[in-house]
Amino acid sequence: MKIAVLVKQVPGSDSPLPINSNQSWLDENGISYVMNECDNYALEEALQIKEENDDGEVVVISLGPDRVQKVIREGLAKGADRAIHIQMNSDSIADPLSLATLFADAIRDEKFDLIFSGLQSDDLGMGQTGIIIGEMLGMSTASLAMATELSEGIIKVKRELEAGFFQWVSMSLPASITIQSGLNIPRYPSLKGIMGAKKKEINIVTPGGHDVKQSAKKVYVPQSDKQTVMIEGSVDQIVDKLVEAFRNEIKVI
Amino acid sequence: MTQIEFTVIEKIILSLGILITFASFIYEVWRRLRIVFKGKQSFPLDRFGARLWRVFKEVFLHEKVIRGRFWPGFMHALVFWGFIVFGLVTVDHFALGFGHELMNAQTHKLYSYIVIPFSIFVLIGIGSLTYRRFISRPKTLGKISPTSGFVALFISILMITYLLGETGLSPIVWRVNWWIHSLIILAFLFLIPRSKHLHLVLAPINIFFKPFDLPDHTPVNIDLEGSEDELDAMLADLTEMTKNQALDVFSCVECGRCIDVCPANRGGGLLDPKNHFILDLRQPLLDKGNVDVLSEINVEAGWECTTCQACTEVCPVGNQVEKSDEIRRLEVLVEGKVPQEYQKLFMNLQESGNTEGRTDSPLAERLPTYSPDKEYVLWLGCFARYELDPNFTKSVENFANILDVAGITYGVLENEHCSGDPANRLGDKLTYNMLREHNMEQLAHASKVVTLCPHCALNLGKEYAKYSEVNYDVTHHTQVIGQLIEEGRIEVKKGSNGKVTYHDPCNLSRMLDEVDAPRTAINATTDEFFELEESGRNTLCCGAGGGLWWKKETTGRTHLVRAEQVVNSEADTVVTGCNFCYGMMNQGLKPLTPEGRSEIQVKDVADIVSENLVSNSDTK
Repeated sequence: MKIAVLVKQVPGSDSPLPINSNQSWLDENGISYVMNECDNYALEEALQIKEENDDGEVVVISLGPDRVQKVIREGLAKGADRAIHIQMNSDSIADPLSLATLFADAIRDEKFDLIFSGLQSDDLGMGQTGIIIGEMLGMSTASLAMATELSEGIIKVKRELEAGFFQWVSMSLPASITIQSGLNIPRYPSLKGIMGAKKKEINIVTPGGHDVKQSAKKVYVPQSDKQTVMIEGSVDQIVDKLVEAFRNEIKVI
Repeated sequence: MTQIEFTVIEKIILSLGILITFASFIYEVWRRLRIVFKGKQSFPLDRFGARLWRVFKEVFLHEKVIRGRFWPGFMHALVFWGFIVFGLVTVDHFALGFGHELMNAQTHKLYSYIVIPFSIFVLIGIGSLTYRRFISRPKTLGKISPTSGFVALFISILMITYLLGETGLSPIVWRVNWWIHSLIILAFLFLIPRSKHLHLVLAPINIFFKPFDLPDHTPVNIDLEGSEDELDAMLADLTEMTKNQALDVFSCVECGRCIDVCPANRGGGLLDPKNHFILDLRQPLLDKGNVDVLSEINVEAGWECTTCQACTEVCPVGNQVEKSDEIRRLEVLVEGKVPQEYQKLFMNLQESGNTEGRTDSPLAERLPTYSPDKEYVLWLGCFARYELDPNFTKSVENFANILDVAGITYGVLENEHCSGDPANRLGDKLTYNMLREHNMEQLAHASKVVTLCPHCALNLGKEYAKYSEVNYDVTHHTQVIGQLIEEGRIEVKKGSNGKVTYHDPCNLSRMLDEVDAPRTAINATTDEFFELEESGRNTLCCGAGGGLWWKKETTGRTHLVRAEQVVNSEADTVVTGCNFCYGMMNQGLKPLTPEGRSEIQVKDVADIVSENLVSNSDTK
């Protein structure tokens, strides 16, 4: 069983988010980066499958500049066997199709049985990359996995639907599945894991060019302002004007 | 007294009896001590005089035994003192069996004037202890112990046969009586090493060797550049007990005082320090014949501990009871099994150097920055720096005001990271070492550090010193305030805070051994000070220690037990000397205060002093 886990490095939830000078993206200095939350669960799910079957390989794959090697190391410390680092400046890429193409090209020859990725990233939250990769590589796909069960060439996935409902789907392998947070209890890297990770292989892939199909025009912090309007007149007039304003301008009634 | 010649056969039986029971006694004790000696580190012999004095106080005077539980403790003391008095009687008793009495008739008579009253005291003592153990049965004593029943019976028979022997019995009855007394002593010798009554032998030794400092966690040095073999050896080392710890396990008398004082247990938690930290390890030690048994500690119980050291403080046989550090570091460093909220905490500590993952601190920006011309580094700690309780920033500013009025210069470090207390207590020694190294660099040129956080004070001082030399002095702010008041450098008037009480933080009282300075400060501001029932070194933890502040889900009420005591104490103001206690009180008191009663004010020592400060320029 060969399992790929796609991990993304994202700004931590408590990190400040300064915007760079040309307003194209965030200013990376001053941001503290962490592993995307649901990717952590995807990694744990892969490690548990490997441990239960007592056989197989878990490969951590991340895309981005050199700083992403930190989350790669974290994955290796937790027990992944090796890693692939698709090295590039990810700033300009905001669309899942471009990203998925880069991933698919880099891992096509690996012939993974399973690809696990987080349901969505905590920064952009597109939620499509894992599914598109699956399509590109001719794999079965499922999103929002709350549980997985593996048996002879088949994976059963419990998908989260709306309003507390769930759906079980069975799919043939290979499959690309996006994982929801909370389906397992992620581990903490042990000291032995941290030490062992240093010796594990990180294969650095540098893709040639890529098409940018979408990009951010301008990144800015939403401006909020307040207006004060004085309503004058008799009590009845004031009430009428207030109701009017509530109904049509502020739209709260 | 009757003079009796024993027959040769009797002497042979007696000799065999003594030989067999004595040999079995030695064997059983040796079997345990051999395991103890396999433990890590060596028994400390420093401060020899202080150690002897401690044995005298805690063993011969029974100080801790009596203080912890007055009546049962006193009854136990009667039995113990009787035991001492009977030492000579027992030797003489057996000597008589071989026809060589040590005391002549007159000395015997004289000594019996001491022994007879003591034998009656022992009967009273053992009688009331038996009543307690078998009839009133407090929960912490645990299951009914048959050996305790035997011991009580044996001691009673010994006393009665002794008294009968002094009454001038007919030779034949005296002889039977003498034999009963002898056989009971031999049976006792057989029973002692196989039961908790081994504390008779081991407790004095254990008290002699117990560490002076709390907590006595061993440092964990991690060399990330080392070889795999070195790492394996280090990790294996984490499962092994020290000699002192192994001796603790065999010394335990199973009294359960540690359970009585445990905040986790009192809050309805699972943790039972007597069993989880001590007795659960007894059988594994004996079975394995070695000391690598720390992984046997109940993990869930280990995570509940507030590391407050109340269990260790109260132990009458000198045990270092608390072992959450041992099990947590195994879980974190070896197993990688860490509750999710703590993983987040560790990640924050690694990424941003503070518990909250923050980068800015408005409070730190408002305060002067440290430069070497200033006397003190004012160490803020994450709690104040990142406003874990927003009201506490006021306390820091109040302390700064006190320093200003006293004309003391201070400044905060720009690059202060968490002292590492939560990582240290929660077992992540790797993150702890990272933070420690960073802070040691930041403090390289400092000579004096003062902080409002006892957790920081303990780590920056005593705990860092376990790893490398610390060249600065760390003081807690209550110590600075107390000293300023005593030296008359600040003047404080009596204020109007109603009935004022003080909650001793466990890190300050038990671990930094400071209970006087805060009281000096508080008493300068009020005439209505009173003590809580559990105070000083016997304080009850607020529930936030040991990293539990960051624990999201609490099943028990550990965090409310202390607040409840404060509410029931009828205090108008509760003063504390620790930011975590301050936060816990603020959270706990409001929902617990009965309707109609005015809100109990929570203040730091700095607040109550600053509010009542009489300064030249300002007389607010």
